[in-house]
Amino acid sequence: MGIISSGILQTNLNGYILKNPIITASGTYGYNNEYSDFVNVSTLGAIVTKAITLEPREGNKGIRIAETKAGMINSIGLENVGIERFLEEKLKVLKDENIEFIMNIAGSTIREYVELAKICDENKIKAIEVNISCPNVKAGCLEFGTEENSLYELVNSVRNNYRGILIVKLTPNVTSIEKIAMAAQKAGADAISAINTLKGTQIKINCQNGEINKTIISGGYSGKGIKPIAVGAVMRIAQVVNIPIIGIGGIETLEDVLEFFAAGAEAVEIGTANFTHPNISETIIKELEEYVKINGFKDIEELKKELRS
Amino acid sequence: MINEKIKKIYNGKIERIEKVAQTSYYIEINCQVPVEVKAGQFVTVYCSGLTLRRPFSVFSNDNGRIGILLKERGNGTKYLTSLKIGDNIDLIGPLGNQFNIEEKKSLLIGAGIGIAPISFLKKELDKKRIENCLAAGFLNKKEIPINIKVDKIYTDDGSNGEKGSVVDYLDELIKLYHPLPVLKTVANVGEKYCIATQISMEKVMACAIGVCRGCVINIKKNGSIVNAAVCKEGPVFNGSEVVWE
Ligand SMILES: Cc1cc2nc3c(=O)[nH]c(=O)nc-3n(C[C@H](O)[C@H](O)[C@H](O)COP(=O)(O)OP(=O)(O)OC[C@H]3O[C@@H](n4cnc5c(N)ncnc54)[C@H](O)[C@@H]3O)c2cc1C
Ligand SMILES: Cc1cc2nc3c(=O)[nH]c(=O)nc-3n(C[C@H](O)[C@H](O)[C@H](O)COP(=O)(O)O)c2cc1C
Ligand code: FES
Repeated sequence: MGIISSGILQTNLNGYILKNPIITASGTYGYNNEYSDFVNVSTLGAIVTKAITLEPREGNKGIRIAETKAGMINSIGLENVGIERFLEEKLKVLKDENIEFIMNIAGSTIREYVELAKICDENKIKAIEVNISCPNVKAGCLEFGTEENSLYELVNSVRNNYRGILIVKLTPNVTSIEKIAMAAQKAGADAISAINTLKGTQIKINCQNGEINKTIISGGYSGKGIKPIAVGAVMRIAQVVNIPIIGIGGIETLEDVLEFFAAGAEAVEIGTANFTHPNISETIIKELEEYVKINGFKDIEELKKELRS
Repeated sequence: MINEKIKKIYNGKIERIEKVAQTSYYIEINCQVPVEVKAGQFVTVYCSGLTLRRPFSVFSNDNGRIGILLKERGNGTKYLTSLKIGDNIDLIGPLGNQFNIEEKKSLLIGAGIGIAPISFLKKELDKKRIENCLAAGFLNKKEIPINIKVDKIYTDDGSNGEKGSVVDYLDELIKLYHPLPVLKTVANVGEKYCIATQISMEKVMACAIGVCRGCVINIKKNGSIVNAAVCKEGPVFNGSEVVWE
């Protein structure tokens, strides 16, 4: 209650207006109101849904999560209900409860992304975030987001079939994230979000009476340990594009959010920290509003400007 | 506003913390949980500095206080056992489903620290005057918590009760808990003798509310094999529906 009253946190992402710049990241927040035991989800800037694919997916086998010193590794593998069930079951709750949402989409071929884009367009989904950290089955399973030509083709194809706000979510597992960002902008993206998880592996070794037992998990590394990498990526992207950037990676506190603003982000997404403190998003919104007021800024835009000067 | 409902996140205070076995502790947290907690449900607690909250079965629940029984393992549990009376503790719960209590003679089986939810279940059955027998197995007598009431004890080394595994006791059975071999044996015995079994499963958890899909196991449902989140659809499953890895 009350945290959106004054509108001083209002954020504009290339025409996509959010009540505040705090968004929850894909894969950590479910599809709609799953966190309502902890926060009033409708007060968030937006939530990003779990990646949605054309067909439902079962996800990966074996161990799916492991904690690391400064975060975690996940190998969920895009388990999701598929677009049909999302539209049938999940969308209604989002609308009924007035939850602002961005739909995260993923596919294995450009055709699948195009299909998803068309469905989103038909259903008037206001904003989508394209997850490009997926293996391109037609290109030897190289990820779409690691090579600028295939990235351009993908984003451009989605653009031609979708009229809403198109956000492209970049992977940090590349040589030059600037080149990929420029390709996304050229292909017609309205905004860029960065970063997705980093590739990582944990090998847990247990030795009992000389017998070694190993548990290996490889997957996406997220959480506080990736923050410097993410802030760096946002800063470099900001130097080469003029569309808004949503910063993601290891955000746990208000200070982290300010750091991303200073690097050039217009908004942020919080992921892993929702697991640690499921009400963290709401807490940070309140603290951010306080911070703007106490320091005498007119609004969040003025704060961002000061942070970047 | 539609959302003026109870938030499941509490800033609790430790009221009791006691060593109850060689490496196990009982922690009682005053957090004024306003809902009734059922046997089989769990809570998660924040351990300072760690990314993932740690899940623990509810062992007792009286007057808004949640009791957990925990065994020291790694950083999370060591942090918790270092806390003192009066310290704050950030707790979420109750989470997950519960044991389905039937008016039937029940056999309860717990191995190691898996005794926690089973002890709670026994208390509930006793309250309802449902005949039951709790058989528990431990490594040795030093591992047996002093604050539990059991009917039959097994130790691997025979230092207390019968020597052997608690599954030796299985000829008629039902509810139980803990490390997979015991769980699997129980499910198998149940299947063999056509006895309904309920099993409490464990998986590493991240969100603990069913959204991240990090804690899924395979279960049989309507003739096919599907994913089920231990934190949301579980932790209690029918022994016959679990697909063992
Ligand atoms: C539903 C449920 C109920 C549980 N109830 C109890 C209980 O009543 N008493 C008790 O002592 N323990 C219980 N556990 C196990 C307990 O959660 C782990 O022992 C604890 O998380 C270990 O944390 P650590 O940091 O000390 O160990 P570490 O080994 O350092 O943990 C590293 C990671 O592995 C996870 N982990 C390690 N062992 C387990 C395990 N057996 N199950 C799930 N995650 C694990 C941790 O959460 C952490 O993410 C329960 C687990 C689940 C899923
Ligand atoms: C369990 C888990 C599942 C995720 N699933 C997705 C996903 O489906 N789609 C996606 O674009 N990103 C996914 N991510 C990445 C996050 O959205 C985010 O980009 C990343 O975790 C970095 O932010 P953080 O450090 O705040 O978690 C997932 C992350 C985690 C931890
Ligand atoms: S821990 Fe996230 S689904 Fe169970």
